[in-house]
Amino acid sequence: MGTNDTSTPYRVLIVDDDSDMVALLSTWLKGSGFSVITASSGDEALTRLGMSRPHCVLTDLYMEGMDGMTLLSRIHANNPLMPVIMLSGQAGIPEAMKAMHLGIAAFLTKPVEKETLLSNVSRALRLSSDIAEARPKFGGGIIYRSTAMAELLEKAELLADSDITVFISGQTGTGKEVLAKAIHEASPRRDKPFIGVNCGAIPEQLLESELFGHERGAFTGAMNRHEGLLQAANGGTLFLDEIGDMPLGLQVKLLRVLQDFEVRPVGSTRSVPVNVRVISATHQDLAEAVKRGDFREDLYYRLNVVPLHMPSLAERREDIPALLDFFLDRIAQKRNAKKKRFAPDALEYLLAAPWPGNVRQLMNVVELCTTLIKTDIIPLSMAKSALREEPTGIHTLKVAKDAFERNYLIGVLRITNGHVANAARIAGRNRTEFYKLLAQHHLNAADFRKGGTLDTDGPEPTDIDAAENSADEQRDV
Amino acid sequence: MVQVTVDKDLEDLVPGFVANRQRDIEKVEALLAKGDFDGIRVIGHSMKGSGGGYGFQFITEVGAGLERAANGRNADLIRSALSELREYLAQVEIVYR
Repeated sequence: MGTNDTSTPYRVLIVDDDSDMVALLSTWLKGSGFSVITASSGDEALTRLGMSRPHCVLTDLYMEGMDGMTLLSRIHANNPLMPVIMLSGQAGIPEAMKAMHLGIAAFLTKPVEKETLLSNVSRALRLSSDIAEARPKFGGGIIYRSTAMAELLEKAELLADSDITVFISGQTGTGKEVLAKAIHEASPRRDKPFIGVNCGAIPEQLLESELFGHERGAFTGAMNRHEGLLQAANGGTLFLDEIGDMPLGLQVKLLRVLQDFEVRPVGSTRSVPVNVRVISATHQDLAEAVKRGDFREDLYYRLNVVPLHMPSLAERREDIPALLDFFLDRIAQKRNAKKKRFAPDALEYLLAAPWPGNVRQLMNVVELCTTLIKTDIIPLSMAKSALREEPTGIHTLKVAKDAFERNYLIGVLRITNGHVANAARIAGRNRTEFYKLLAQHHLNAADFRKGGTLDTDGPEPTDIDAAENSADEQRDV
Repeated sequence: MVQVTVDKDLEDLVPGFVANRQRDIEKVEALLAKGDFDGIRVIGHSMKGSGGGYGFQFITEVGAGLERAANGRNADLIRSALSELREYLAQVEIVYR
């Protein structure tokens, strides 16, 4: 059990200030073929870690001096993928959950049984055959050939099994949500909800209510109780996209959730326990935002336990032919038409293009080319023109304002269940003006009322839905 | 006589483990005389964590009792737990399998 293919024993570092415990665990592990290194304190463990390079760490939670939780953070600061198993005689559930979110492989209660310990060590080292057999290929829908993506996915797969908090950086259109979804789908939470929220697309008050929920009457227009996405994602994963745009006031509230695993809806005096894995993402330089005072440092460190970086398309050009082929194939299937292909010089041109809008831009270019060209071969002129025409994700101010306004109106109508007077009050407009705005955006308040043609959970897509839809469409990065 | 069955793999370790519990009794008595309940809590916690793993569930229970009593600064309960442990260690017969 404790040896790998080259017959080198897997090394396990045991950290405990109780010598009887160290002797017991050592005997069990050695008896199963593992090599054992021991340390009687967190400080000694950190020294041993550098010298002996173990494959897994088994540590007590409560120790004199540095405790297990601090040791875990110190280990993961240099080696975020090191499996750490924590043992404790008296940890409560919040403590265990906190440790899970900080990335421990397992949390075991003392006295521990031999079989439990050995199976957890094997699992942490990914030696158990049952896990390997049950798991589908990680990120099955992700198209890549590049080493950059292979390395990223390998790292992401290792993180999937634990509840460790993951932070994904990368330019717009690189597929950060696709990666977050792949992690969710490879995790033990896969049968529970994956909910994505674009923090930058929703005004502060609405975002607070969307995330944390609200009680009936919590604010003007709150006609009904609203559960909130943190509770809706219970047992699953909450993906917070564009976390850098989250207002400071809400950052404090989110930090509390991540510390205590409890959420208090707006207007409620009661906290509700939630069990959610948070994956966050942004295209911004969050460390810079912290320096500027736009983002809380404590939240930054809480979210950024393991950073993953999505490479831009320009950094993974070798994936372009496979991506083009995939989109051409998908479009042909969708339209029930013959698959088109790019002329060699068009392909060469696309391979060298700058792609500021990344995979999303590439997808749109293929869509545009296949729509506008009637022949089977897409010529260079069409590829050039599509790439010029295709917006790279930066819209004119008017388009951006319109989109924001429409999403805002949808948000207030959802919260007020289509009650125009209340919605207008929240928006700070009189009813006549509000009706005008609704007409401009072709929205009908009745559609948001209970029994309307659209239910309150499913009116026109907001940016939250849009983010999810775009990720569904972009099932490949 | 109390018979306890212990994993044969632990045969070399058990005498030392039992001897350490004898020492724990002396340590707790000394700590109690000084009123160091925190020190007693640490020893109780340790016994609770390791006893069951070695096959001595009773030691885990005594350890938990000591930890609770130390948290409550209850000297009588601590003395009573020590007395139970002393009696147990005197009577226990270990069978290795």
